Amino acid sequence: MRLALLAGLLGVLLFSRARQDVIGQQTEPLRWIEAGAGGTLPAEMYFHNADGKLGVLLTGGPLEMKGHAFFEPQGINPRGCVTCHQPSNAMSVSVEAIRERWRVTNGEDPIFAAVDGSNNPKLPQALASSHSLLLNRGLFRVGLPWPPADKTVKPEFIIEVVRDPTGVNLDDTYGLKGANPTISVFRRPRLSANLKYVLSPDDVFNIKTGTLMAIDPETGKPASMNMMADARHLTLRQQANGAYRDHQEGRQGSLRREALEQIVAFEQQVYLAQSHDRWGGSLVEANGPLGLGPRALADGKIHVLANNNRDPVFRLFDAWKTPATMAKELTDAQREFRAPVARGNDVFMFRQFWIRDAAHINSIGLGNPIKRTCATCHNTQMTGQDLAPGWVDVGTVNYPTWTELPVFSDKAELPVFKLTCDKGAAPHPYLGRVIYTNDPGRALITGKCTDIGSIVMGQFRGLAARAPYFSNGSAKNLRELVDFYDRRFDMKLTEQEKVDLVNFLSVL
Amino acid sequence: MRKALLVLLVSGSALFSGGTTAQRREMPPAHRRNFVACPIVRDTKTLPCWLAEYEGELYFLGLQGSSASEFYPPQLNHEVLVEGTVTNDPRICGGIPLKPLRISVLPELNRACNTLLPAEDGLEAPAAVARRFSEDLRKPGTDISQREFIIPFDFDSDYLTFHTTRIVGEAARIAKAVNVAKIEVRGYRATTWLSNGKQFIETETIAAQRANKVGEILVGLGLPATAVTVISKNEPEPCDGVTDTDKRRVTVRLFTP
Repeated sequence: MRLALLAGLLGVLLFSRARQDVIGQQTEPLRWIEAGAGGTLPAEMYFHNADGKLGVLLTGGPLEMKGHAFFEPQGINPRGCVTCHQPSNAMSVSVEAIRERWRVTNGEDPIFAAVDGSNNPKLPQALASSHSLLLNRGLFRVGLPWPPADKTVKPEFIIEVVRDPTGVNLDDTYGLKGANPTISVFRRPRLSANLKYVLSPDDVFNIKTGTLMAIDPETGKPASMNMMADARHLTLRQQANGAYRDHQEGRQGSLRREALEQIVAFEQQVYLAQSHDRWGGSLVEANGPLGLGPRALADGKIHVLANNNRDPVFRLFDAWKTPATMAKELTDAQREFRAPVARGNDVFMFRQFWIRDAAHINSIGLGNPIKRTCATCHNTQMTGQDLAPGWVDVGTVNYPTWTELPVFSDKAELPVFKLTCDKGAAPHPYLGRVIYTNDPGRALITGKCTDIGSIVMGQFRGLAARAPYFSNGSAKNLRELVDFYDRRFDMKLTEQEKVDLVNFLSVL
Repeated sequence: MRKALLVLLVSGSALFSGGTTAQRREMPPAHRRNFVACPIVRDTKTLPCWLAEYEGELYFLGLQGSSASEFYPPQLNHEVLVEGTVTNDPRICGGIPLKPLRISVLPELNRACNTLLPAEDGLEAPAAVARRFSEDLRKPGTDISQREFIIPFDFDSDYLTFHTTRIVGEAARIAKAVNVAKIEVRGYRATTWLSNGKQFIETETIAAQRANKVGEILVGLGLPATAVTVISKNEPEPCDGVTDTDKRRVTVRLFTP
């Protein structure tokens, strides 16, 4: 018995050591960059994760972080942009990294700032439970004025707080009935990388609304509206100033001009993607798939509609379909991994299912349901976003398809809102005029009933480095993400198809 | 299906009217099929077909396409207003084709509209019309001498489709090219004369919603707001059961100096 126990303990220790090596916590000095720490960011960086390595490329070359506005605190708290947009975490931040920061700093890291790094600024900040949404799901509080700050918006619905485990929406300072009525939702930080794709504008007209696209005030041209979860900021400058005020508690209204330009210039030169498999082999191979690794992102064309079999969203994976066409130097294990990746690409691109009751997909002239594929909506080459403004109610935040526990369960973590739409307003196309939601999404900006629960879809890049997924952090891993879609759209995926999809997503 | 129609007539935001005595005695032409029903989607080996049933007969509405297609399919969970003319063409997916045909997805939810039929041998979809890429559709193509533009709408809708936004875009392009002095945007609401003799009238505010939306787009496209006059005719257009679809519209007229 003791021998078995010892062997078990040794196994755990060996596993822990191996895990530590894979994660690279001890060996990668840039794994966590503290704001203000200084140092040099190399032009090429590689960071271990459970599925291999993430590659990050700075097309402008190495960068000195000391004095750089992205890496230095700008507001009154000690956060910088980098605090929540870490290169090792695909310019977002993973729950794994957040938990590690809690452990290492005993909860003192600036990422846990009360303003939005806790469930409610009035909770005792030393307790982990006060930061449970960040520690468990990687969610930051986003407080938005209600009614919207844009006084030309006439809300089509009223909002009631059904319940709020965080207490923040019922709080007399921060809540809907405070002096500055605010609704707080909780969302994941999005990638500040590969932005030439994200910011690439579509047509003059917005196919989602049948009206004109919003105009980028800096260029006078249509904006992409694909950067933020609710498309509230149109440009990098707007976003940087918003983050300065909301996340860094900046009190000057906006960033200094030089700081703003430095941040924007930096963000425009960062490209990232998974670069290596879990055996250390590069995913970028001669005659291999063309869409992998950060260089492919840096060199790729923008605004390519790719829901086709000629030049698919993440390019062709034909070389990995059979061992005969794979690179000769690969091991058996690597070959056995690449074949399902190629199959996963086929599932993503060509496996049809009924897409149903998804507002801003089915409701914009495509019909409900439509028999199409994942790539119908995730159609932009290289990122898998939507070429059009990508807000969709895919069902993650609205009852009854939401990922939350039942409304009256005591264990749910997110607030629940009841939105009641005016009789004269166009109803939500599939939920009507009374909607329960964790996050009204785009509707908090437009005030429209049809937009309730619509969230702008995110990039599919660097996924292995930044779990969890969905705007509400509800999918802990890629398998849970795939399972959600399988349930939501009754896809009837086989176990093999699920595994293939997970493998495919892990190399992006 | 008929039960679903009754539900709509009671709960819908549009106004149902029995019409005048004279109208009750008369009916739309016999070859017309104007009705409200739950749509039916039928799977096939290729593209899904859309159908609707009226008085025991099945009618073919169209195929699944893309947002650049001419035909925008119906939606389950919603009833559909069908306005079409019966043809002698062979059945498609089991339904009689209607040409011309306009369909409108009605905005209110109706969860009874939920029929999805499996694929069935012998009920195949026709080959899809070759897809026109959106880039082609975005090229200007209107004669610069054109001074009046008609933007059609679905019943009770102010949504501009991929195609109708193009019409507004062309109106703006030509208005700028000819240095327009005045632009008159006029919105209308209409009535559909259903095949059961009843009238289906659009909501009161829809004419103004349509006109305001088109006016805002023209200004957004760079035309001076002072040159754009927006008018809406709130009295519903009379119906004849044949041309009712053409009356749900906004007209844009350009006046040159």
